[in-house]
Amino acid sequence: MIKALPGHENGICVVDPGLERLTAANATAFRDELIALLGNGEDRLLVDMSAVEFVDSSGVGAMVGVLKKIGNRGEIAICSLTGNVDKMFRITRMDKVFAIYPSRAAALAAMSERP
Amino acid sequence: MRYWMPISTPMQGEEVHGWLVVVADDDAFQRSYASAILRKLGFIPIEAADGVEALALVRNAGAQLLICDLDMPGLDGHEVVRQIRADRSEAYVHILMVTGSGQRGERDRALEAGVDDFMAKPLDAASLTARVRSVTRLLAHEKLLAERNRTIAEAKQRIEDDIRIAARAQKRLLPAPHAELGDTQFHSAFQPSNILSGDMFAYYDLGDGMIGFYAIDVAGHGVNASLLSVSLGHLLTSDYFRSQVATQPGSPDPAALVARLNERFFDADGQDYFTMFCGVICRATDRLHYCQAGYPPALLVSDDGAITPVGEGGFPVALIGQMDFQNASVAFPQGSSLVLLSDGAHEAEDAAGTAFDDSRIAEVVGASATTPANIPAKMLAALTEWRNGIPLDDDLSVLVCERRSKP
Repeated sequence: MIKALPGHENGICVVDPGLERLTAANATAFRDELIALLGNGEDRLLVDMSAVEFVDSSGVGAMVGVLKKIGNRGEIAICSLTGNVDKMFRITRMDKVFAIYPSRAAALAAMSERP
Repeated sequence: MRYWMPISTPMQGEEVHGWLVVVADDDAFQRSYASAILRKLGFIPIEAADGVEALALVRNAGAQLLICDLDMPGLDGHEVVRQIRADRSEAYVHILMVTGSGQRGERDRALEAGVDDFMAKPLDAASLTARVRSVTRLLAHEKLLAERNRTIAEAKQRIEDDIRIAARAQKRLLPAPHAELGDTQFHSAFQPSNILSGDMFAYYDLGDGMIGFYAIDVAGHGVNASLLSVSLGHLLTSDYFRSQVATQPGSPDPAALVARLNERFFDADGQDYFTMFCGVICRATDRLHYCQAGYPPALLVSDDGAITPVGEGGFPVALIGQMDFQNASVAFPQGSSLVLLSDGAHEAEDAAGTAFDDSRIAEVVGASATTPANIPAKMLAALTEWRNGIPLDDDLSVLVCERRSKP
């Protein structure tokens, strides 16, 4: 179950996935929860992955699913990728697809510069 | 002697004919009275004169209703109930207990032991009929559920049979575990996590001194992933492969094949995608031309045992439309081997949740550097040991491409 922390500057909503593992078992639910946030008008999402230890291909697919859903109407950024998750994002070149930041503070700063 | 019977016909709408009821009472008069009422209602009563007999009848006759006197010599009502409940038989046995007027205090104990309902002595036909009706409704409901369960179990069996047939068909698409194409040998192993797999691989002699191969891992696993992997397996014939990668003599273009697949399989509303490693070996130049599309880097094992990862990463296929797929190439001389492993190997976790990961993979590969034909089996064995025999969560394929040394 994700934890959404809306109300940051410039309408950024920080999302804590609330999961240690984002896999085929929970990827669809995760995607649907993020898409529900979009439905509530949150169109600037920052997913903080610091507590996520493992992401499989279905997890990557879920993230891209949200990105496709947002399209040009908003943005989704990712921060704090660790170890194997960072490797997964590099091997699949998702670092070229998503805006990825080393920390939540860095992400919020960068995102606030382009409201 | 005549008993007054308020009900002269069997119960309407509830099919009770042929249902067995054990009537346990040490008083023969009480027994035959209850039996007579039950018979009128359409049941088949079987009488037991004491607790031991009652227990044996319930266990052996398959009765689902027991009408039991509390006070019986030997095994009393409480003990009979306790033993029936301890049996944990598949069918629930409904127990109605008959108690004397002075035994109200015993009822809590009896409920505790597992009695469903009570009747007071002297037994009267109206009270027995009402309670038996209530049990009959439950029994009819249980029967309905049991029938549904049986239908579901049969459907499940059919689905599992179909899936096993599909798995055999999928496995037939995969090449032989060992094969020789000119100076190049291929060795492979395949282990689906869940009968059906999303992994697919193949290799072919493309002519003109070129050998092509690929390994694909569809995201997710199970039926959905396997359908896509099978359609890819059918699509990627040697002719198709050659028509995409060998458009310019001397410069193989595996990225063109990957881009073509991306175009063909990308669906803006879909979720399905796959990772792929697609390679072409040029014998004349001893080089490997490859496109790595989100698949884990390959491992190049040189003849001195050194292991080098091949591939910096790349976009997966059919995840995002209109992506730019890159070619790369590396020296692949005779005497060296290339090992491709789906991420089921890297991600395999032991009981403590530690992933098998790159270093252990390199160890297994390094140990068989001079005998690459053994790598697939050694890898499966190492992973089985790592998992302590627990099946993998993800599909696993191992494809080893060995370039034989010059004679």
